[in-house]
Amino acid sequence: MGTRCGIRWTAVALLAALTSGAAPVVTVAQDTENPYISRLDVRAGRQLFQARCSTCHGLNAAGGNESTGPDLTTGRFRHADSDAGLFRVIRDGVRSTAMLGLGADADEQSIWQLVTYLRSVDVTAGGTPTGSAAAGRQLFTGTGGCDRCHMVNGQGQRLGPDLSTVGERRALAELETALVNPDAEVLPRWWTMKATGPDGQVVEGLRMDEDTFTFRIMDADQQLRAFSKYGGWTWERVQRSTMPGYADTFTAAERNDLVAYLFSLRSEP
Amino acid sequence: MTLTLLRTPTRILSRPVAALAALAAAAGPVVAQPSPGEGLAVFSPVTWERLVDAANEPHNWLMYNGTLDSQRFSRLDQIDSANVGQLELKWAHHIPQLDRAETTPLVVDGVMFITESPSNVVAVDAVTGRPFWRYDHPLPDDLRLCCGRNNRGVAILGETLYMSTLDAHLVAIDGRSGSVVWNREVADYRSGYSKTEAPLIVKDQVVTGIAGGEYGIRGFLDSYDADTGERLWRTDTIPGPDHPDNRSWAGDSWRTGGAPTWITGSYDPELNLVYWGTGNPGPDWNGAVRRGDNLYSDSVLALNGDTGEMAWYFQFTPHDEHDWDAIQVPVLADIELDGETRKAMLWANRNGFYYTLDRETGEFLLGKPFAKQTWAEGLDGNGRPIRRPNTAPSQEGTLVSPMAGGATNWWSPAYSPRTNLLYVNAFDGEAIFFSRDEDYQEGDNFTGGGTETPLPIEHYHSAIRAIDPTTGDVRWEFPITPRSRAGVLATAGDLVFSASIDGYFYALDARTGAPLWHISLGGPVHAQPMTYAVNGQQYVTMTIGNTLYTFGLGD
Ligand code: HEC
Ligand code: HEC
Repeated sequence: MGTRCGIRWTAVALLAALTSGAAPVVTVAQDTENPYISRLDVRAGRQLFQARCSTCHGLNAAGGNESTGPDLTTGRFRHADSDAGLFRVIRDGVRSTAMLGLGADADEQSIWQLVTYLRSVDVTAGGTPTGSAAAGRQLFTGTGGCDRCHMVNGQGQRLGPDLSTVGERRALAELETALVNPDAEVLPRWWTMKATGPDGQVVEGLRMDEDTFTFRIMDADQQLRAFSKYGGWTWERVQRSTMPGYADTFTAAERNDLVAYLFSLRSEP
Repeated sequence: MTLTLLRTPTRILSRPVAALAALAAAAGPVVAQPSPGEGLAVFSPVTWERLVDAANEPHNWLMYNGTLDSQRFSRLDQIDSANVGQLELKWAHHIPQLDRAETTPLVVDGVMFITESPSNVVAVDAVTGRPFWRYDHPLPDDLRLCCGRNNRGVAILGETLYMSTLDAHLVAIDGRSGSVVWNREVADYRSGYSKTEAPLIVKDQVVTGIAGGEYGIRGFLDSYDADTGERLWRTDTIPGPDHPDNRSWAGDSWRTGGAPTWITGSYDPELNLVYWGTGNPGPDWNGAVRRGDNLYSDSVLALNGDTGEMAWYFQFTPHDEHDWDAIQVPVLADIELDGETRKAMLWANRNGFYYTLDRETGEFLLGKPFAKQTWAEGLDGNGRPIRRPNTAPSQEGTLVSPMAGGATNWWSPAYSPRTNLLYVNAFDGEAIFFSRDEDYQEGDNFTGGGTETPLPIEHYHSAIRAIDPTTGDVRWEFPITPRSRAGVLATAGDLVFSASIDGYFYALDARTGAPLWHISLGGPVHAQPMTYAVNGQQYVTMTIGNTLYTFGLGD
């Protein structure tokens, strides 16, 4: 849940940018974009939501058997089609229903933070894929040779992250970026450590862990090796990705298929 | 009560020990004490004279930072750079309550006093780690805590221990039995106050601070009669409307301005001055609602040791908007500056700058960055920062170094008079600072924003840095991966002990920073090492995870 929320964030920001471009017709909050869209605001919004709204909409805004308010995580709202529209609903409520709204005196910051929170729990936030997952799967193990490095449900190799549930962790845009620009975000776990021994021998591998006195790597043969930093070896961190970029290898359509396949990789069907 | 009776014979009991220790310190490792393993009664009352002279009985660790000058330097030298590699585990003490263990134990004549989460204390045999007694302080379940259920240690006078508790009480506990002698409410915890710091004994007073800077409290420093628990003085860290410095707070913002005092200060017996750091102004990240310098937040205060009256203050970060508490330990040392011996105070601040101050007058002598900082061009002739534009927290976020956690934090530094270096746990981090509107509600969090670190922690650099207090230059550094939240200890064996967040306890060469010994003990570290000796054997103790480990040389 924690990671999911954090990673979703990019998608929320993207979406917020998109919706604000759609020129909302409502005349609230000066038709501005939501100014409170950081993770901090997601947290603040969640707190507010749990205190003021959860009795009717459920603790995680998904509605539920006991609750009288609708599920707010579907990405579609009957009474709003933009951030500004949501702002209005939260402030003014929905006429003649239990949804009273916070009122004209409520401060704008809190309302925007609630909007930001609702965007963060939108299960469709990152969009849905257009490519063919089946075709993507073929590419993954065929021409793509992705399984030289990646494992999916126990099949493949260990030189990249296990992708069995990557569809839960990453939005579409992030999956596309992972393919065309692997260096965009390389987690420290996937940095390379280059160690040079006292006799000049060089050993290289993926940085599995590092601390003040030691580090541990997986070399190209997928052997685990442990080093002492003060035992005569010198070392160097390489913070680039070892994954090749696929912008030129695959057409946009093929990449869409790959992304659709990756997006389908989830623990729950 | 019991104390008056017991304080008199102390002199007799303690003097020979102290004298012997002084001799031994000159001649070599300290050897002279009775051996608890042989059933001898060893715990003699700790008089004020013993506390003043604590450096001369290095087999004991009599207060949070070792000595009143808070150098955290021990004259013990049995463990040195030649043999530190042979350290072996002697015993371990497990802390049952899981939370950050931030304790620095005391050792008095072979008895060790360890505080535990949430507000408990246990007395153990310092040779074996086996308990004599424990005191578990009862707590309400609606505490207001920014940063976990922790406690950093006790103070001792006579044979009574003084402990801060999370419900903002000060408790006096009998050192032989663990019975409560008195229990005094310092402030109302429901308003956001709490207490975590080890008190400081000054003569017959218990001087003690308060936490709650994230709850819109108004900070103060208190003194209590050690015998009776009666409050002797209170000095507000935010002056009231009758004082001209109150105008450094816009409108009524001083009422909820924070400036807590949650780390133990120092005392100079010759000048009769108590030195104490103050924390951030509140709300932390929204300075617009409290325009002005916000005195005396983020400052060091010098207070008269009898009355608490302020002699001087020095504010490190006027109008702080980044949560850079000046909650560091004031390190008092006499140093050579331009051919003169100066009574100095050495201070590596959370805001990224190192300062040498004159501790008689508060005069700024020199200062420069000791860690990455992007918010100031430098310090002017009075030590006031020259701020860069656009470094305040904002609606959309502002990237600034250091991060809110600081270039260093409350982790005690150490100063060695043998190397004339100050050893500081430093961090070159950064954070995005956000500002938000927030209304004050009594007892609720009141921070006015928040922070985010843009990159995984592995991208930033952390180190133990050795600072020359005569220039502010960093002489050497020992890199730590990924970072550390531990204090530092320096010894006459020319060793520097510290630990890293991922559970290493290690020793460095105090002159070069070369690593000489380390052991991986697994848990996260939020404490500080200390050293003591019993029966001629020197020990070093460090709390890692929820276990306190004690090491010594082999027999
Ligand atoms: C007393 C119960 C109740 C509370 C409390 C409540 N709501 Fe509602 N909410 C409802 C109901 C019922 C509806 C459906 C109204 C309708 O019939 O369209 C609704 C509708 C909404 C909608 C519009 C959904 C759509 O499809 O357009 C939003 C957005 C919303 N609520 C947000 C909130 C927020 C944010 C809060 C807290 C500040 C909140 N609600 C508090 C009962 C409640
Ligand atoms: C030479 C080894 C290698 C090959 C071949 C490779 N990858 Fe990667 N991949 C990596 C590494 C290492 C990372 C982690 C570093 C990074 O993010 O770039 C990674 C990251 C990823 C991620 C991001 C995973 C996450 O958890 O966020 C995705 C998605 C991905 N790869 C998909 C693919 C696909 C699809 C292919 C084939 C077209 C492929 N990779 C081929 C090594 C490889």
